[in-house]
Amino acid sequence: MPRRPDRSLLYVCLSWLFVAAQLTDADDAGSRAAASVDFERDVRPIFSSRCLKCHGSDEPKGDLDLTRRDSALGAGVIEPGLPAVSSLLERVTTDDEELRMPPEGERLSSAEVDILRRWITAGANWPKHWAYRPLTLPDVPLPQSDKLRQWCRTPIDNFIVSRLETAGLEPSPQADRLTLLRRASFDLRGLPPTPDEVDAFLNDPSPVAWQDCIDRLLDSPQYGERWARHWMDLVHFAETHGHDQDRPREHAWPYRDYLIQSFNADKPYAQFVREQIAGDILDPLNPDAIVATGFLAAGPWDESSLRDIREDSLDREIGRYLDRDDIVTTVMSTFASTSVHCARCHDHKFDPISQDEYYGLQAVFAATDKANRKYDPDPTVARRRAELTESLAALEQQFQSAPTELLTDEARQAIALWEQNLDKEAVRWRPLTVEKAVSQGGATLPPDDQQTVLASGPRPDKDVYVVTATVDLKQVTALRLELLTHPDLPMQGPGRQDNGNLHLNEIRCFQVLDPDAGTTRELRVVEPFADFNQQGWAITAAVDGNPNTAWGIFPAVSKPHEAVFPFQQPATSAGDTRLRIELQQIHGGGHLIGHFRLSVTDSSVELLKTAPRIPLSVGQILGVPVSERSESQQIELAHWFLRDRLQRQLADLPAQQLVYSGTSQFDPDGSFKPTPAPRTIHVLQRGLVTQPQEQATPQALSCVDTLPADFDVTVTAPEGERRLALANWLADEHNPLVWRSIVNRIWQYHFGRGLVTTPNDFGLMGASPSHPELLDWLAVTLQQRGGSLKELYRLILSSAVYQQQSASRPEALQVDADNRLLWRMTRRRLDAESYRDALLLVSGTLDPTMGGPSVRQFIQSPGAHVTPNVDYQNFNVDDPANYRRSVYRFLFRTVPDPFMEAIDCPDGSQLTPKRNVSLTALQALATLNDKLVVRLSEKFAARLTAAQPELDGQIDLAYRHLFGRLPRPEERQPVIAYAQQYGLANACRFLFNTNEFLFVD
Amino acid sequence: MPTISHPPNEPRHTTISRRDLLQRTGQGFGGLALLDLLLRSEAGSAETSRAGLNGGLHHRAKVKRVVQLFMNGGVSQVDTFDYKPELERQHGKKVDFGLKAAATSTPGAVMKSPFVFKQHGECGRWVSDVFPHVAKHVDDLAFLMAMRSKSNVHGPASYLQNTGFLNPGFPCLGAWLSYGLGSLTDNLPSFVVLPDPHGLPYNNTGNFSAGFLPAANAATIIKPASPEPIPNLRPPATAQQINAVSESAGLALLRTLNQQHRDQRSDDLRLEARIRSFELAAKMQSSAPEALDLSQETQQTQHSYGLDQESTAPFGKNCLIARRLIERGVRFVQVWSGTGGASKNWDNHTDIPNELPFIAGQVDQPIAALLQDMQQRGLLEDTLIVWTTEFGRMPFTQGATGRDHNGGTVVSWLAGAGIRGGSAYGRSDEFGYQTAVDETTGYDLHATILHLLGIDHTRLTWHHNGLDRRLTDVHGHVVDAILT
Repeated sequence: MPRRPDRSLLYVCLSWLFVAAQLTDADDAGSRAAASVDFERDVRPIFSSRCLKCHGSDEPKGDLDLTRRDSALGAGVIEPGLPAVSSLLERVTTDDEELRMPPEGERLSSAEVDILRRWITAGANWPKHWAYRPLTLPDVPLPQSDKLRQWCRTPIDNFIVSRLETAGLEPSPQADRLTLLRRASFDLRGLPPTPDEVDAFLNDPSPVAWQDCIDRLLDSPQYGERWARHWMDLVHFAETHGHDQDRPREHAWPYRDYLIQSFNADKPYAQFVREQIAGDILDPLNPDAIVATGFLAAGPWDESSLRDIREDSLDREIGRYLDRDDIVTTVMSTFASTSVHCARCHDHKFDPISQDEYYGLQAVFAATDKANRKYDPDPTVARRRAELTESLAALEQQFQSAPTELLTDEARQAIALWEQNLDKEAVRWRPLTVEKAVSQGGATLPPDDQQTVLASGPRPDKDVYVVTATVDLKQVTALRLELLTHPDLPMQGPGRQDNGNLHLNEIRCFQVLDPDAGTTRELRVVEPFADFNQQGWAITAAVDGNPNTAWGIFPAVSKPHEAVFPFQQPATSAGDTRLRIELQQIHGGGHLIGHFRLSVTDSSVELLKTAPRIPLSVGQILGVPVSERSESQQIELAHWFLRDRLQRQLADLPAQQLVYSGTSQFDPDGSFKPTPAPRTIHVLQRGLVTQPQEQATPQALSCVDTLPADFDVTVTAPEGERRLALANWLADEHNPLVWRSIVNRIWQYHFGRGLVTTPNDFGLMGASPSHPELLDWLAVTLQQRGGSLKELYRLILSSAVYQQQSASRPEALQVDADNRLLWRMTRRRLDAESYRDALLLVSGTLDPTMGGPSVRQFIQSPGAHVTPNVDYQNFNVDDPANYRRSVYRFLFRTVPDPFMEAIDCPDGSQLTPKRNVSLTALQALATLNDKLVVRLSEKFAARLTAAQPELDGQIDLAYRHLFGRLPRPEERQPVIAYAQQYGLANACRFLFNTNEFLFVD
Repeated sequence: MPTISHPPNEPRHTTISRRDLLQRTGQGFGGLALLDLLLRSEAGSAETSRAGLNGGLHHRAKVKRVVQLFMNGGVSQVDTFDYKPELERQHGKKVDFGLKAAATSTPGAVMKSPFVFKQHGECGRWVSDVFPHVAKHVDDLAFLMAMRSKSNVHGPASYLQNTGFLNPGFPCLGAWLSYGLGSLTDNLPSFVVLPDPHGLPYNNTGNFSAGFLPAANAATIIKPASPEPIPNLRPPATAQQINAVSESAGLALLRTLNQQHRDQRSDDLRLEARIRSFELAAKMQSSAPEALDLSQETQQTQHSYGLDQESTAPFGKNCLIARRLIERGVRFVQVWSGTGGASKNWDNHTDIPNELPFIAGQVDQPIAALLQDMQQRGLLEDTLIVWTTEFGRMPFTQGATGRDHNGGTVVSWLAGAGIRGGSAYGRSDEFGYQTAVDETTGYDLHATILHLLGIDHTRLTWHHNGLDRRLTDVHGHVVDAILT
C-alpha cells in the first residue's frame, strides 16, 4: 500500500487554511457516521489514496487488484456481508508490523476503517466507476424548504441547492447587475463591458433583460475568440515545433480560425468532435472539415528526430512512437478525459485500460503525421478538383483495362483539332546525341541509346560535367536539362547526394563552330525556368554567374525534374549543330546530378513557356500521318492527350492553401515522408522500441461497455477508416465519458472549477464529481439540445447559482471553505489574454479584425540553425500587431511571451485543462512595467482627455471604462490628487494594476 | 451535516506539508497566492519551520543551493575526462560496433583523442589538456564516469537531462527545487538561468521551463550583457512621465485603492497576497542590480575568472554572477555554455582537434575560479556545483576528425557540500562507446541532487493530466558512492 506524503510539516502562517482543512475533515467523518456508506464517495477514495499503488491493475501485489470488483470481492479478502472473515479489515487494523496494511506510512484512521467495515457489512456494494456508467437523465430533486424551492430558476439550481440544504447551507443572494454583467462579459467574450453596455443593461426594464444580455454576448463574434482560446489550451496549440529545431509553422492558424468559427456557429458538439479527428474523411470536400484536423497536429513535433537524423536510426523510431503518443494523449485527454497515456509502458495502474488498448489507439494514427496538407478553401474548387482527380484515375484505369475505349469520337475529334493547330502551339524537343560526356571529378558518364547519362563510379565532393553533343537542327533556340530518377541512386535520385538532391551552380552553353580549331561561341541564357525550385535555390541561380549560388530540388527528390534554358541568340548552322555544355556542380557534399538527358529545340522562345510538353514517344507518333497510325499508337496518343488535358485543367484551378494538420497527405521533406500504408504498430514492452511485442490492432477502450471497443477495421484497412471509427466511437451519444467531459469543462470555465476537479482525468485517481447527478443532467441535456453549447451557456448563466454574489459568509466558510458546494460565486483572477485584451479595449486601441495569419509580437531574425531568434523586448510597442486580440498572437513554443507567461499563459508544450493562477513579484513587475501596458496607459489617458475637459470627468470616465461604475469619494480624491501631480497616464497605469480590475467578483 | 467528497488528489490532512499545500492550492483556489507570497514573504520561515531538517523536505539537507554548469551540445567524454588507451591502439581501424548509423552519419574509423591525457591530484584522475585549470581541482570533484542518455538527439536529450522527459513541457530541476523548497530570500528570484551570451541553447527556454508547475517556479532569465538584464525590472526608459517620486507615490495610491477593495472582501487572501507582491517587486528592484554589479569585485577576483580575456570573459562573468547570486540566497543558478545551432557549442561534429579546445578554453579557467572562490568563501559548505551535458560523443570519426552524438556514455561531475572529492563512480567500455560498469542516468543525477537538498525524489510530485509527475519519472537512484 502506498506511503502517504509527508505530513509532518505545518505552516503556522496558513492557519486559516489549516483550520478549514481540519474542519472539513472532521465534518466529513461525522457525516459518514450518520449516513449510509457510498462506495464512490466513501470507499473508493480510501482505496485510491492508500492501496492502489501496490494493489492497482498493473501487476497487483498478491494478485489483489482493488480497481476491479471481480478481483477484490471474495477469496477471503472482502466477503460481502461478512466483516469477520474479510481479511482486509484484519490487515488494516492489526498491530503485527509484518502484516499491517499499508505496510508503510500512517495507519488508516478509525473513521476510515469504520467506513470499510460498514461497507462490507452492508454487502460491499461495488458499482461501476461513475465515469463509465451509462448516461441517464436523473430526476431533478426538490429542496425541502419553500424558500429554497423559490430560489431555483433552473434545474441546475435544484441540484445545487438540494446539496446545500443537506449540508445545512444557504445559497448567497443575487449579485447586483453590474457585477453580473462584468462576470458574464468576461466569461463569454473575455472582455469587460463598455460604459454604454453597462448603461443599457442597468437601465433595461425588461423582465428578460438578463436573457437578452446573455444572447447578445453569445451572438458577439468575440465569444468565439474567447472560447477558441480555451480550446487551444486543452489541445496545446502553438505555432512552432517546440523541440531543438523550433521551426515556425506558418500554416497552423487556419485551425485556430476553425475553432473560432465553430464556436460562433454553435456547431453541434458531436460534429465538432468528429471533424477534429476525421473531418477529412467525413467530408473531404468541405474545407472546414479538413482544417479541423489541425487538432491532431496541435502539439509539438520533434523535427530533428523525425526529419533530420538517419531514417534507419533507433532515435527515429522512438520519435515516431512519442509523436503518436502525443496525438493519442491529446485525443483521449481532450475528448474523453481519460489518461490512456499512463498505459504506454504497462497496463494502466489504476484504470481498466490495458497496454494493448493504448497501442490500439496508436494504431488508429498509424499513418498520421504532422505536416502541411493542401486544401481548397473554396468548396466548389474542391469539388472540381475531386472530379478531375477522379477522371484522371478513371482514365488510367481504362487505359489499363480497356484501352481501346479511350478512342471515343470525342477524343478523336479533340485530338484532330489540337493537332491541326499543333505547329503553332507545340514545342518538340530533340535529344542531343552525346559524343562525349566527361566528369572532371572522376565519375563515369556513359550515355545510353536514349541519350540519357547515368553518373556512376566514385562520387566526388564537387564535379563539373562537360558534354559535347550534336543535333540535326539548323537552329537551336533553347536547351532542356531533364533530371531523371534511377534505382541505383540514393533516394532514387535524381541527385547523387544521400538525400537525392543536387546543386547546379552554373550551366554554360557553347556552340562549337569549328571542332578542329576549337572555336566556340557562348550561348547566353535568359529567363530560365524549371518545374521545381528548392526554397532559396531557384533555377536563376544556375545562370547568375555567381558560383556560390545554385539550383536545387530538395525536398522534391525521388522524382524527375526539368529545367529549360532559352538562349538570348539562337545557335544557327548550315548543317548539324554541335554544342558543348558545362554543368558546374561545385557546392560540395556530393550534391551532383545522378541521371540526366539534354535536349534542344528550334521552337520560338515564347512558345516554350506556354506549350504542352510532348514526350518523345508521342512526338514520334505525331510524326506518323494520321491514317498510318497503328491502334496502339492511337491509344498512346489519346492516353497522353486526355491526361495532359486533365492535368492542365487541374493546373488552372486556383492555388491550394496549406493547413498544418494530422495527415498522411503531404509533400515529402527529406526523409520525412508520408507513409503509403499505415505503419505497423507494436505493443512495446515497458514502452521500449527495442522490445516490440505483438502487433496492435486499431481499437477503443473496453471500459466504456456501452459501446463496442473493437472497430470493425482490420490492420490492412486504409488509415482514414481507423480515424473515422474512433471519431464515431467518441462522438456516439452512448459514450458517457465524452459528454460528461465537455459539460464539466464548460462548467469549469464559468465557476473556476469543474464539478469534477480533474478535468482531464475521470479515472480512479481523478476526483469524483461533487454533484454527479447534475453532471449527468447537464450531459444528457446537452445531447437533447442537439449538442448546442450555446444552449448550455444559456442554462448555466440563467441559473441562480451562477448569479450569486461572491462575498464570503463566515458560517458557510466554516462548513465548506473550498466552496465545493457552491454556496457563493467564486471570485476569479483574469487570465493573461483577458487582462491584455481588456487593456486594449478600455484604451480604445483594440483592433477588432478577426482571423488570418497570426501576428508576431516580437522581432524574428535568422538564428544559428533552424530556430529563429525571437526578441520581445525590442519589439516596437506601436506596431499594429500589438493591437490585435491575444488569441491572434503567434505562439512560439520555446520562447513564449514573458509578459503572458508571468500571468500563467501556457506555452503549448503540455495540455492545459486548467491554468494555474499565480500572483508573484515578477508578475507585478510585468503588469507595472511592460512596455505595452505603459503605452496603453498613455493611450487611455489621451482617450479620456479627448472625451472630458476636466480631470474630474476624466477620472470618472476612467472608472466607468475599467470598473463600469463611478469612483466613490474615498477613491476619487486620492486618484485626482495623484493625477494632478504626476499626470493622468501615471494614474491610469496604477488603475490598470488594481485588484478590482484583475479580479472578477 | 455536510457530505463533502474530497477528490483523492486533494489529500485531507490534519497537518499540511508544503507539497500538499502546493498541490491542493495549485488545483484549487486561493492558495497559490499565499504560497508564493505569504511563504516568500516569510522566506526564512519556510526554512525555519524545517530547521530540524536543515531546510530539507524529507530528511536532513546537506545542500541549500546549487550552481549547475550545463555544456550544451554534448561534451566528448573520450577527449576530456574518460581516458581510453584502446583508442590509441585501434586508431584508424574500422571496428564493428554493431551500429549501422549514428545520429547524423555513418560510423567512421576509430579515432584516438588528439589531446594529451595526464593523471592529476592525489586521486590520480585522468584529464586531457583541454581542461588544465579544472584538472587542478580533481580532488574536489566526484565523477560519474558512465552516464547514459536515452536519446542521441539534442532536443530530446537536453529535455531529458533538464526535466527527466524526452518531450517538452515538463518542469526542470530548478523549477522543482523552487516548488519543493521555496526561496531563501525575498530579494531575488529563487531560480535564475544565465544563458550563453551568444544565444539560447537547444530547446531555447524550454530547457528551463516550469512546465505545469505554477509560474512562480519558472526561471528568471538574466542576460547581464543586455541593456535590460532582467525584463520589466524598471519602467521603459521612454516613459518620461515616470520617475522615482511618481513611482513611490503611485505605489502608495495603488496600495490605498487595493486596501479599500480588500476591506469589503476580507476573506480572500489572494487580494492581500497581490498587495504584497508589489512590495516584493520593489525589493527585487533594489536588490537585483546590486547582485549583478561586478565592479564590487576586486581586480584579482575578476582576473581569476578570466574577465580580462576575450575568450573567457563571457562565461567567466556569468560564473562570477552565479557566485554573487548564490551568496545572496538564490536557490538554483544554471549557467550555460554553448548556443543552439551548429557551432559555438560542444557539438563538435567536424573538427574535434580545433572545435573542442576552442569551447573548452572559454569555460576551463572560469570553472576553476568558481570552485576556488566558492571554497575560499566557505560557500561550498552548503552549495553544490554540478557540471553536465546532454550526451557524449562517438569513439569513431564523423568526416575526417569530428565525432557524432553518443547517448551511450558521458561524464558528469559534482563538487561541494556532501560530495566525496576525488571519487569516481562507473566505467565505460574500453572504447568509451557504452557504459560498462555502474551505469548512471540523468535520473540518478537528479535523484542525488534532490537527496543532498533533503528531498526524496520519489515524493516530490505534482498531479498533472492523470499522473503524479516527478522529476525522475519512474526512475532514479541516489548515487551513494560519491557522497560523504
